[in-house]
Amino acid sequence: MSHAAVLAADVVSSGEAGAFWVLGPIALAGAIGMVLSRNAIHSALWLVLTMLSLGGFYFVQQAPFLGAVQIIVYTGAIMILFLFVLMLVGRDYSDSIVETLRGQRVAAILLGIGFAGLVGGLIADATSGVESVGLAESNADGGNVAAIARLLFTDYLLAFELTSALLITAAVGAMILAHIEHESGSRPGQKEQSIARIKGPRPQTLTGPGVFARGNSVAAPALLPDGSVAEDSRATGMKMRQPPAIASGSIDDLDDVTVDSGANRDGVPT
Amino acid sequence: MPDLSAPSISYLGLAPVLIVLGAACIGVLVEAFVPRHLRWNAQVSLALLGTVGALAAVILVAGRNELTAARAVAVDGAALFIEGTIAALGALSILMFAERALDPAKSAFVASAALPVGSSADRKLATAPYSQTEVFPLASFAIGGMMLFAASNNLLVMFVALEVLSLPLYLICGMARRRRLLSQESAVKYFLLGSFASAFFLYGLALIYGYSGTVDLGEIREVAARSGASDALFVTGLALLIVGLLFKAGIAPFHAWTPDVYQGAPTAVTALMASCTKVAAFGAILRLLYVGFGTSEWTWRPLIYTIAIVSMVVGAILGITQTDVKRMLAYSSIAHAGFLLVGVIALGDAATAGRGLSSTLFYLLTYGLTTVGGFAVVTLVRDGDGEATHLSKWAGLASRSPLTAAVMTLFLLGLAGLPLTSGFTGKFAVFRAAIDDGAWPLVVVALLASAIAAFFYLRLVVLMYFSAPAEDGPTVGVPGLPTTIVLAVTAAATVILGLAPGAVLDLAEQAAVLVG
Amino acid sequence: MSNLAAESPTLADFGTDVWWIIVIKVVGIFALLVALTLFAILFERKVVGRMQQRIGPNRVGPRGGLQSLADGLKLAFKEDIMPALADKPIYFLAPVIAAVPAFLAFSVIPIGPIVSIFGERTPLQLTDLPVGVLIVLACSAMGVYGIVLAGWASGSTYPLLGSLRSAAQMISYEIAMGLSIVAVFLYAGTMSTSGIVEAQESGSEVSAFGLNFDGPGWYAVVLPVSFIIYCIAVVGETNRAPFDLPEAESELVGGFHTEYSSLKFALFYLAEYINMVTVSALAATLFLGGWRAPWPISIWDGANSGWWPVLWFIGKVILGLFVFTWLRATLPRMRYDQFMRFGWKVLVPVALLWILVVATMRVLSREYDFNAGDIALYVGIPVLVLVMAVVWLWPDKAPDPTVKEGVPPTTRGAFPTPPLDLVVPPSPPLIKRDAVAAGKRGGGKRA
Repeated sequence: MSHAAVLAADVVSSGEAGAFWVLGPIALAGAIGMVLSRNAIHSALWLVLTMLSLGGFYFVQQAPFLGAVQIIVYTGAIMILFLFVLMLVGRDYSDSIVETLRGQRVAAILLGIGFAGLVGGLIADATSGVESVGLAESNADGGNVAAIARLLFTDYLLAFELTSALLITAAVGAMILAHIEHESGSRPGQKEQSIARIKGPRPQTLTGPGVFARGNSVAAPALLPDGSVAEDSRATGMKMRQPPAIASGSIDDLDDVTVDSGANRDGVPT
Repeated sequence: MPDLSAPSISYLGLAPVLIVLGAACIGVLVEAFVPRHLRWNAQVSLALLGTVGALAAVILVAGRNELTAARAVAVDGAALFIEGTIAALGALSILMFAERALDPAKSAFVASAALPVGSSADRKLATAPYSQTEVFPLASFAIGGMMLFAASNNLLVMFVALEVLSLPLYLICGMARRRRLLSQESAVKYFLLGSFASAFFLYGLALIYGYSGTVDLGEIREVAARSGASDALFVTGLALLIVGLLFKAGIAPFHAWTPDVYQGAPTAVTALMASCTKVAAFGAILRLLYVGFGTSEWTWRPLIYTIAIVSMVVGAILGITQTDVKRMLAYSSIAHAGFLLVGVIALGDAATAGRGLSSTLFYLLTYGLTTVGGFAVVTLVRDGDGEATHLSKWAGLASRSPLTAAVMTLFLLGLAGLPLTSGFTGKFAVFRAAIDDGAWPLVVVALLASAIAAFFYLRLVVLMYFSAPAEDGPTVGVPGLPTTIVLAVTAAATVILGLAPGAVLDLAEQAAVLVG
Repeated sequence: MSNLAAESPTLADFGTDVWWIIVIKVVGIFALLVALTLFAILFERKVVGRMQQRIGPNRVGPRGGLQSLADGLKLAFKEDIMPALADKPIYFLAPVIAAVPAFLAFSVIPIGPIVSIFGERTPLQLTDLPVGVLIVLACSAMGVYGIVLAGWASGSTYPLLGSLRSAAQMISYEIAMGLSIVAVFLYAGTMSTSGIVEAQESGSEVSAFGLNFDGPGWYAVVLPVSFIIYCIAVVGETNRAPFDLPEAESELVGGFHTEYSSLKFALFYLAEYINMVTVSALAATLFLGGWRAPWPISIWDGANSGWWPVLWFIGKVILGLFVFTWLRATLPRMRYDQFMRFGWKVLVPVALLWILVVATMRVLSREYDFNAGDIALYVGIPVLVLVMAVVWLWPDKAPDPTVKEGVPPTTRGAFPTPPLDLVVPPSPPLIKRDAVAAGKRGGGKRA
């Protein structure tokens, strides 16, 4: 069957039915897993699974544009942002399971199941035996993408343009809720810190301990070219070893000679 | 590929909406480019210009009856009347937003909404003389969305407009300067429940589309007339759509958010929500039920009938138990929503449609004006923590400030629907239409509910006049120009529409046209 | 059949293959990707070595040719560590999620025209859809999950920071990348990859100074701004230097894969290189004419038929890989805030503006019958010259008087440097080699 033939077909092919019976349970499992997961990240991932399955449905129902957009926008952008926020919340966070209203959970579950059963039953009843119509016409003349574009710029022009008001509101709202204006002179940002460092006396990073010191222990201070100790390389809160004199001594001496250098700070045992 | 032919758009017919949304967009740019010390005045004037401009545009285009932008928007009498009402009430609300004299920190809105409540930076900014002026463009967006919501002839546009009106409201609910946690809680509650309601609406939309193959209200009516309204998809879809709309209008049993949100939100925002949102939601309900589902009336009529009774009773009875003025007004709004539904029922068949529709439109106007006035008085009564909304604080207010107490009494009487106030005229018109339509049991319940509701309105009046003032009672702030204008306009309207409603009633009668 | 004229596949040519052709194609693409990965690793190390005046790996196999294979084998035999704090199922899944979409994305890349495989005529492309390019975008969007989840599931700080960075970075740069492709869609009138390659077959006719000739068809030439934005954005999208902030080793140890080892780490490595190959292949498809031969070769009639195009295609991919390597060897890593600002405040607005310009041009050329080639010649080139002149003549920034130039201080407290008279002892192999060489030259000297 060629592609054109696929586009023109109005009947449910066996491939489509097969895809449905594979994707349907996955989508359902994702939805149920999302509700039942204790961990927020796991919940989000189950939801991703559902979204992906929905994308798959759209593909097999000959709406490839919708399917691709579903995956790019929902799983690719929105759910990633979800994950982003959940990660900032912290991995050990989980919902409080204390009920503020007694019996609320049970009532909610029962009513939820009842509502789902009612609506699901009604829809199943109403749509059983319905012949699908109009798919071939709506995908004619340039296919799925062109058909959506045509609708957006004719019948749904106003709704499409109106969403811009929604987007502006969302952007302004995000700024209001998340952006804190910093007074000038308060905590410097990454840029200011970087400029200050380059202009300061020491553009480079602090010397790491153990560098050029014939030992790679954190406790071994770095040595300057003249053999003296680089003070910057002393680790804080640690008893540093005394480097051996440059002319005499050997590596073995390092272990024996220790001095109290910089460790006599408050609260640090020497 | 066939050529596209762009739909013709009547920019004149859309002008009211476009003006408000345009003002909102410019407001966002102002926020970005104008220095902070100029922003407040710029934003206030821009938002007022937008709403008043929209009102002027409504007057300019009055009398048109058409569908524009590929049948997406109706420009007809009812739509224009409601757009004008929303623009006027919106302008009054914006004036309340702009009040600088009452709060010592010059504004009822927070200086930086992003700061965590109680953090040191937040405490430092508590008395800062500036605030988040984004509230003005956001309010303009909300008002624009409301106007389009009531005028949309297309379920998809209706849904997008619903979101356009809701999203800014969710945001500005959480931006009170005082009692920020309460305010943020109200915003979150409103947001969660509101998104839930939007989801219901969307689900219903999908089902109706599945049933009829269109989202256009007029075409839905034709399909329903052709193929009968007993289809399960049709009934389920209609029910879900109505649930979404009832939520927005704050009608019992979908009212649970109303008291909490009205109480937590800044009072100016509450005024906007209680007046404009309600008007817009009823505009949409009228259009949906009569344009989209007019031929399948007996599918929804019993439902609306029941809900009207529930809403009136719940609002009136729970209102009695409240001890907070804002919560009391919230329950009052729920009861009034029930009265309005009586008007919706009373539209009846085509022959008497004019009477029911015009009385509902009139009621919306009077209710909106009185409510805005009531909330404006609430902003005046203050103590150290901001507004003193507990009923006990209002005891003996008349001896402290006779004028404030008198104005509040006027509004309360108006809400109670006592004669010589606008509330009486509105209720009378709606009930008469309902009786004409044969819905007299509903009117009986409505009268009983009115009597119960009158109890809690009058209780506050009694409290203000006949109780001894509390020792550490609140002070009554001296309102600046904006709030004074609001109080003057709303009080005058409450009296005039009660004494001589004829002209406005005629206007509403002329406007009672729904196209589609 | 190889002497036939080029046969560009259209959408109707897909979905008609017999099953064994599909199997061959799938295995072929898999093999091609793995081979290209092995090649790319070695290629990168060799090229970077040359650019740094080194030889690069030269021990394993002839001229070090089997180095990547040896690395891969070594990785497979390393100990597989599961951190105690890891979220086990996700820790296990993350590398798989990173690698699978990387392979998937290649299924819509056209490698060649219609060829004959064992008598079956079929396009050299696994499949194509009306929204082909969006499939690649969708796959790259899914690939982010691998990285994000890896960082989170490791239960450790640096990986988490790396994965947060990568999430922010990939979303930001994906927007710029998507927008850069829009102009290509506008010109090609299709989103299918094979259609875009076909649309680049020949450019519009340009008449200049009385001469008529075909302008270039490649969108890299027709839509230069899109091409540049695409190139920059994909470097961010693939986490490569100078945008390799999610794995910035000087800040985050190894970034998101710090805790990974053995085959799981190998999968991340594989995914990164396959992503490089994929975006290079997509660049070739969208902007460089796909499998079509470049200009001087395209004069030869047989260049675009049979199996030859595979060669041109792979050549273009390797060119892309070379640019990646070149960037890595040349540029220092950007600071994170600079990087984000660049993405949001430069790339995205420029891309939007460019789309506006392109759309306007399309409408104008349709409504008023302009010739796009003429416009490019008479408007584009002067604008280009003007821009270059401005850049050239723009005054240099005045030197900052507070910055002291010259020799860094060498007093105490300065950064420790080895003594100037440090004598490095020669390494034993060198001594041995020198000795052997000296011995070969003749013992007389030593005696």
